[in-house]
Amino acid sequence: MNQTNRALNRTLLLVVGLVLLILGAAVVTVFVWPVAAEYWTKWTRAAQNWMEQAIAATMIPGMASGVVIGVLALIVLLVGLLIFVLTRIGGGRSRTVLRSTAADNPLGLVRVNDAFASDALKQALGQRGEILFSTVTTHEVRKEPVMQVSVTPRQNTSPRGVVEDVDHLVTNLATLTGKTVPTYISVRSGLRAKFADDQRRVN
Amino acid sequence: MTTTDSTFRRIVRRETHSPRTVATVIVVAILILALSYAAVEIVLALASQPPLLVTPAEAWAWVIALPTLQPSSAVIAGGVVLALFGVLLMVLALKPGRLPRHEMAWNGRVVVVDNGVIASALAERVSDETGVAREDITVGVGHRTVDVTVTPGPGVPFDSAPVKQLVEEEIRIFELTQPMNTRVHVSRARESDLD
Repeated sequence: MNQTNRALNRTLLLVVGLVLLILGAAVVTVFVWPVAAEYWTKWTRAAQNWMEQAIAATMIPGMASGVVIGVLALIVLLVGLLIFVLTRIGGGRSRTVLRSTAADNPLGLVRVNDAFASDALKQALGQRGEILFSTVTTHEVRKEPVMQVSVTPRQNTSPRGVVEDVDHLVTNLATLTGKTVPTYISVRSGLRAKFADDQRRVN
Repeated sequence: MTTTDSTFRRIVRRETHSPRTVATVIVVAILILALSYAAVEIVLALASQPPLLVTPAEAWAWVIALPTLQPSSAVIAGGVVLALFGVLLMVLALKPGRLPRHEMAWNGRVVVVDNGVIASALAERVSDETGVAREDITVGVGHRTVDVTVTPGPGVPFDSAPVKQLVEEEIRIFELTQPMNTRVHVSRARESDLD
């Protein structure tokens, strides 16, 4: 759960995919259809002539042509946009689980750090034999803090029971801190669960 | 409470569908490399330096000559590969990309469970109830179906109807938001495997 801009990811994939498809189809078409080959040669030559004229017309003496500089600027702009796309991936982690202002708490401004919530929950979850591994993180979803509790139980454990345990612990934490945080519980499988003993150890 | 509900919907949506991050990062990295390379060749040509591979003018001449390039089969194959990559990216962009996870109905919280967890829990339950060894039971959980395959010992009579009922009941307890179809197969080890 992060704030990756998924629409942006998909739009980029769609546009690049469409361009590749058109290019690929064009290459195949000019080979198998002579008429298309004629047009290809005509248009690419025309583009070359136009380009040469444009370069000559916009030549800045002692420097480069304006068109070439424009092309370079366009490349820099595109690379900048692509880097922007990369920066939109991930993010959204927040440190504060719970914040109460003076208005709703007699103690005034109270902040519960995610490290506290995480330690408290992990401590409690660690005592349960069927849970191998747990993480507790906080995310901002639509400017609202949301706590994510992610647990990996042993194989063959009923997820309902695991979620009941986690639910109970989260309720206890809410009682302790005096405020309920929207909580998202994910029950994971994975390599860790595959390689661990699948039965609860009987001590 | 409605804000929280829409927030929860958003979380479930994001947790059960792929963000396509890996594909995006790969495509963006390749595009940045290609654009940077083009820029380097243009600058080298401007400075009248020897090119790294081809000058921009040579590259454009190659584009003009494309329909006459040899061997044509190699160029056609290249075009087909390019188009297939395009189709692949478009499929990635348009398919929902559902992850193998299920939402569990839970009052006041969002619960998402990996299919593997559900499958192994179901298999354990079937094993407990039927007495068939756990490793002789395979359970696959999909978006809408649960497939249970039981391999009872040779000669052991086995009825699949109670197993189906058992699995359906267990799934009802899990309260998955997606209704599931259950299928039970009984697979008999072939004689040749018993030697």
